[in-house]
Amino acid sequence: MNANFKNIAVTLSFVTLITGMMLANIIAPDKEFSFSERRLLAGLPDFSADLLFDGKLAEELEKYFLDQFILRDGFRSVKAFSRLFIFGQKENNNLYLVNDGIYKLEYPLDEKSVLNAAKKLNDLYDLYLQGMNVYYAIVPDKNFFIAAREGYPAMDYDRMLEILHREIRHMDYIDLFSCLSIGDYYRTDHHWSQDRIVRVADKLLSRMGAQAPASGMVYVKREIYPFYGSYHGQLGLPVPPDTMAYLTNKVIENAVVYDHYQKTYERVYAFEMFYEKDPYDIFLAGARPLLTIENRACTGGRELILFRDSFGSSIAPLLLPGFSKIILVDLRYISTAMLAEHIDFSKKRDVLFLYSAPVINTSWMLK
Amino acid sequence: MVFSSAAFLYFFLPVVLGLYFAAPDRWKNLILLLASLFFYCYGEPAYCPLLLVSSFLGYLHGIWIGKTRGTRCARIALISSIVTITGLLVFFKYTNFFIKNLNIIAHTKLPLLKIALPLGISFYSFQILSYTIDLYRGRAGVQRSFLNFATYVAMFPQLIAGPIVRYTTVEKELARRSHTLEGFARGVSRFVTGLSKKVLIANTLGELGDIFTRLEQPTVLFCWLTVFAFMLQIYFDFSGYSDMAIGLGRIFGFHFPENFNYPYISRSITEFWRRWHISLSSWFRDYVYIPMGGNRVPAMAWMRNIFIVWFLVGFWHGAAWNYIIWGLFFAVFLILEKCFIKRLLGRLPSFFAHLYALFFLTLSFAIFNAEGPGQGMAHILGMFGFRDVPLASAETIYYLKSYLYVFLVAVIGATPLPAAMIKKIRSRETGEKIINLLEPAANTGLLLLSTAYLIDGSFNPFLYFRF
Repeated sequence: MNANFKNIAVTLSFVTLITGMMLANIIAPDKEFSFSERRLLAGLPDFSADLLFDGKLAEELEKYFLDQFILRDGFRSVKAFSRLFIFGQKENNNLYLVNDGIYKLEYPLDEKSVLNAAKKLNDLYDLYLQGMNVYYAIVPDKNFFIAAREGYPAMDYDRMLEILHREIRHMDYIDLFSCLSIGDYYRTDHHWSQDRIVRVADKLLSRMGAQAPASGMVYVKREIYPFYGSYHGQLGLPVPPDTMAYLTNKVIENAVVYDHYQKTYERVYAFEMFYEKDPYDIFLAGARPLLTIENRACTGGRELILFRDSFGSSIAPLLLPGFSKIILVDLRYISTAMLAEHIDFSKKRDVLFLYSAPVINTSWMLK
Repeated sequence: MVFSSAAFLYFFLPVVLGLYFAAPDRWKNLILLLASLFFYCYGEPAYCPLLLVSSFLGYLHGIWIGKTRGTRCARIALISSIVTITGLLVFFKYTNFFIKNLNIIAHTKLPLLKIALPLGISFYSFQILSYTIDLYRGRAGVQRSFLNFATYVAMFPQLIAGPIVRYTTVEKELARRSHTLEGFARGVSRFVTGLSKKVLIANTLGELGDIFTRLEQPTVLFCWLTVFAFMLQIYFDFSGYSDMAIGLGRIFGFHFPENFNYPYISRSITEFWRRWHISLSSWFRDYVYIPMGGNRVPAMAWMRNIFIVWFLVGFWHGAAWNYIIWGLFFAVFLILEKCFIKRLLGRLPSFFAHLYALFFLTLSFAIFNAEGPGQGMAHILGMFGFRDVPLASAETIYYLKSYLYVFLVAVIGATPLPAAMIKKIRSRETGEKIINLLEPAANTGLLLLSTAYLIDGSFNPFLYFRF
């Protein structure tokens, strides 16, 4: 190619690209939600003189342009590929890939947050739980199993547990670190897979003195494919999806879930949620401040208050063999002060605090 | 607006190019001016009047100097232009610095002014002064068209981050310039190269600075890593932006001066400042240092001149003591090199000269990058293990491994090696054809890749923005 043709090619390709992209972006309708990123996309900002003269209009417009850019997901994949495989960096957006498994860097340990979490639990005990059998357990995140082996930084789990054991009073610790492995978690999501945690439920029930183990029940395993976990879209690479598995039987199917805020009665599994923004919401319809599961197969039995995060949604149905009622409290969405309005703490129950390590490491979100 | 943004690349630029090249020649400066004002107002509408007022003041002073040339009044006009334009710069950029320091020294509690630093004021003020000073010296002609003068001052390719384009450089092109396919293509390639340097390299290396502030345990190795990363980040950020400015200028028919010439291959601090931010150092040389007598004065006066100029160079970079210290740091070395270091280095293999220059440049950028002199000194102490930090850690090794290839690409890119290799390939007919074939594809690929990084990232302002 001679220089003149080269100049024509350079000019044409550049002008075509920038003009073509401009027209495509103008023509393409705006999207409200990104399923791959699980978030609302920025819309066109409302013009105001204040926004203009504060210099914020430019910032808001840029967010809008980037969020609504044509082929956004494709471009994000290109960037992820470039960062990880061309520039050889170890992570993209704090996510890393090991053999088709996606992991999120969760480090360093925030000791102040761990102390805050311990204080939160102690305060709850002093306020409402005195005289009850109270337990706490920490669910390790996937980094616990992989990070050190693959040369990635991870939080100091030993130090986290050391602080919790030292600070938390009146509660018994149930160790879950030793009964989990990386295979119990989804590859593209941070959660564990319900069909792999029956033995975890067994351990919890056994330590809480429940008579019937989870493994004593007969379950039917059902699967839904494809399951694109929360990390899948964040990473932006075409990693093969997971297969979501859930366990069901007559006990679980007949259990009734009462939502204290919505004042509705539902089933344990909300199948329609699989096709919404977070498929993991099929378990108890996702993040809800306060739920009660009534186990109709076990009347007059023990009751459990489960203070939990999203991991609790999938293990709660497996704890039903031990309890006639499980009250699920998510302190990320309901404050401690409001609990007495909804829960009768004068009644003696078992109490379990079940949080994942990342939540303990960012415990400021617990109200 | 910044060049490395979706708004600029995929809305502003195609529209402006379309309007500019569709318009007849007599309208081109007007379109460029209106586009430049829109570009400026998009990010900083409040200070757009200041830009126009400064341009108008420069224009009026030019007329005044032109009318009184050869008389004492011309000198008064020149002094008036310097005082006015510098006065505006000092007011907006340095008033709060003086108030803060007065409060410390005199134990007063004067309130700070609620003014933001107008975008690009340090650049366009110096451009205006280059016009009035060169006009006074008889090196430039009077610009009678305010439209043309304002176009020169406000031209968006170099408005907010340089290079500092002297009026004499573009005087003829303001009146008449040619637009060729070759010029357009060269401009595009230069622009895309600059965009890639900024988005792919500089922004990535900038992450290490953020990571340092969140480290569980700082280490000696990470202190060095952060400074090296910053040195490369600021080079690729600033030279990338200069490439984009020069490329855009070329597209519009202007030939802007080079601003960087592989500064990190320097063998002395003196050489570094001939290769780094050339438009700034040469501005101070020609408009401050030489009028003060330069080096044609007795030794003590010369040293005084060096200290004053480098105080000003440091101060130009920011209204903070670490920038002043940074400038004076170079003054000391420039004097020492002139007196004896250069002779000493001349006797050693050039490897040692490179090492000497890089070492002290590293220390200087540790000062530059800090939030204040104390933090800069603390970082330097950390680099030499004086802060009770371990040599390395697993965390440090992780980040070194993660950013290793980016570092390698940056280090090689900061040398003349890639350009020399392309030149060598081009020297053969087959090589020339291959490069001609690859260049459009490479431009497109880099533009798309840079766009991908922008989309996945967030708003990323250029480092030298607030000058």
